[in-house]
Amino acid sequence: MTLAKSAPPAQVAAPDPPPAPVGAGKGRGRRRQTAAAHVFLAPWLIGLVVITALPMLASLVLSFTDYNILSTPRFVGLANFERLLEDPRFWQSAKVTGIYVLVSVPLQLGFALLLALILDKGLRGLAIYRSAYYLPSLLGGSVAVAVLWKQIFGYDGLVNQGLAMIGIQGSNWLQNPDTALGTLIILNAWTFGSPMVIFLAGLRQIPEELYEAARVDGAGWARQFANITIPLLTPIIFFNLILQTIGAFQAFTQAHVVSGGTGGPVDSTLFYTLYIYQQAFVNFDMGYAAALAWVLLLVIAVITALHFTLSKYWVFYGD
Amino acid sequence: MRSMSRRSLLAGAGALAGAGALTACGGVAGGSGGGAGGSGGLRYAFWGNNVRQTNYQKAFDLMAEENPELALKVEFADYEAFQERMTTQMAAGNVADIFWVPSPQVMTYYSNGLYRPLAEIDTLDLSDYTDADLQDFLLDGEHNTMPFGIFVPVVRHNATFAEEAGLDQIVTGDWKQFAELMKDYSAETEGRFGTAYSADADLPFEGWLRQHGEQLWTEDGKIGYSQEGLEAWIEYWEDLRTSGATPEIGQQDGVTASWEDAGDLCLTWFGNSNHIVDDATFFPDYDFALEHLPVASEAEEGHQFLYFPRMAIYKETSEEKASLAGEVLSFCTANVETQKLTGLTMGAPVNPRVTEEYREFATEDETSMLDVVTVDREVDRRPRYEAPPGSNTWRQVMVRVLEEITLGSSTISEGAASMIDEVSRGIERAAG
Repeated sequence: MTLAKSAPPAQVAAPDPPPAPVGAGKGRGRRRQTAAAHVFLAPWLIGLVVITALPMLASLVLSFTDYNILSTPRFVGLANFERLLEDPRFWQSAKVTGIYVLVSVPLQLGFALLLALILDKGLRGLAIYRSAYYLPSLLGGSVAVAVLWKQIFGYDGLVNQGLAMIGIQGSNWLQNPDTALGTLIILNAWTFGSPMVIFLAGLRQIPEELYEAARVDGAGWARQFANITIPLLTPIIFFNLILQTIGAFQAFTQAHVVSGGTGGPVDSTLFYTLYIYQQAFVNFDMGYAAALAWVLLLVIAVITALHFTLSKYWVFYGD
Repeated sequence: MRSMSRRSLLAGAGALAGAGALTACGGVAGGSGGGAGGSGGLRYAFWGNNVRQTNYQKAFDLMAEENPELALKVEFADYEAFQERMTTQMAAGNVADIFWVPSPQVMTYYSNGLYRPLAEIDTLDLSDYTDADLQDFLLDGEHNTMPFGIFVPVVRHNATFAEEAGLDQIVTGDWKQFAELMKDYSAETEGRFGTAYSADADLPFEGWLRQHGEQLWTEDGKIGYSQEGLEAWIEYWEDLRTSGATPEIGQQDGVTASWEDAGDLCLTWFGNSNHIVDDATFFPDYDFALEHLPVASEAEEGHQFLYFPRMAIYKETSEEKASLAGEVLSFCTANVETQKLTGLTMGAPVNPRVTEEYREFATEDETSMLDVVTVDREVDRRPRYEAPPGSNTWRQVMVRVLEEITLGSSTISEGAASMIDEVSRGIERAAG
């Protein structure tokens, strides 16, 4: 990231030279280049159309149908969207996902920033620490870690063994509806490596002279952090916020593994994506699942747009 | 490099990209050739764990040695993934030639025309079965699936614990007497429980219903029990749980008791007869034995039932492949050598001759299983009906309702009513 302190001096633009006459040979060469570009773009373009755009279009159409995968879809208009308004499990999944996003994203970003600040102090063996802290990000969304989580927060898990040492008998954290979602939020916060690395890169871009000048003016650590680090890091915070928010809305694997695909106990870990999955592949209610998916897409789009709109009030690009 | 012009390079790259894209669109894991008349080998789809996959592969290798035409292309997955893949394959008309049928989907697959009538497969050897056996195999009056095992509901007990407690037999009377024994055992032993909370155990639940004059499903594809019947079952388990005869729900890792977490805490365990084969290996220091369910004092004769895991031949499979598939079905069900390799994780052999031949090699646990199944097989039984289309999620619904009840967020009556309502809606929706 480059922080421009001031606009570059205005320059008088020289008039463009008159375009050289394009010869037949040059035109052929340009057409060849264009053709080559299209050929090399083709795999991506085909993928976009066949694997992303067409299925999205199909799911939009299916959201207006009653479709059980095995028989012909039947057009039902807006019935699927009306149905979800009266579906208590839809509201429960929206609530679970909302809490998860609201709590886990700030927690994860805060933790990532804290670790990045510590690592930015120039520790010996920084590369090792960075890799070690990044590792959970690679593993965090995996089935293996979700299984590990069950061992940590289970009835005889590590957490309860630790509590037992101080005389407290813990419960099965994953089977208690009051704590099950919390354990998944902790799991998400634990995968702070990816935003941490981005924060670290951002911190490295802040000019040291600013801190030196602040110190000369008598600013302490907190003042420097509040008036230099945070403002100059806001584009990075914004970037991480967008990515992690979208990711949190789409959280699936951990809840699926930890709850055995049920979203239990009593739907306390029924993430929205898990509910979509249940409707589509367990209940074979593909039309309703498609409607749910489109609602999620719209919600993410609105929240992302809101983030961008509000960003002009708090994100400082330095230009 | 002048051997290839840029035009040729671009053309080649384009061709490769196109071919790659097309390749990505076609086929399913492990199965080219397709069930619908492809020219490749037979596709065989089933589910399980790695041990089962290895054991079945050995059996398939033996089969291919004896008849190279029967070399199979295996499509294997765990239980949930298997069902998802089957669904997408059904939608694509690309189902394996031979496939196992998950219990909640038996009638769903039937209603979608997946099964090929087996009467027209003359390579399928049914000579070992009695007419009564064959009658049991029918679905909606048709012989269109082939059972390859038998489960019955059982109470499995830890024989080591029982011996320590001076108990020879655990199930000696009706459900009430059993509950009293479970409560007494829990009260008298430190850190142990009479049984695990098992209100969600499907076969024992069905056994309870049949003993009390109800059934799980009716012949015309409806719920076969009343709200009162369901409430009575849940009340029975709530009484055991609240009196301390079962571990806490958290201790057994949810209302669906985890054998790994609570298997060594409980004297008894409700479940299917076949589970002893895998479960016993988890606690090698203990001996286990199987008994039938307690019997309600008012139970009428014929309440016993057999559950058959089934496999089927895909309707769209070609004549030639269907004939070969018949041989595979025979090899899997009528050959004791196959059974020796696969073991009895899918229950007692359905073929009575194979059952008797297998006894010679059976372990103690397997013998215990064969014994309980044989007893139920020999009694007259009232008809049993499979889960109708749209009811495939009934077990998940039941678990959720039981969670609400055990956590106190719902009464037994409310839970039972909501379960019946939700399952009924699924059935009605499937019926259109």
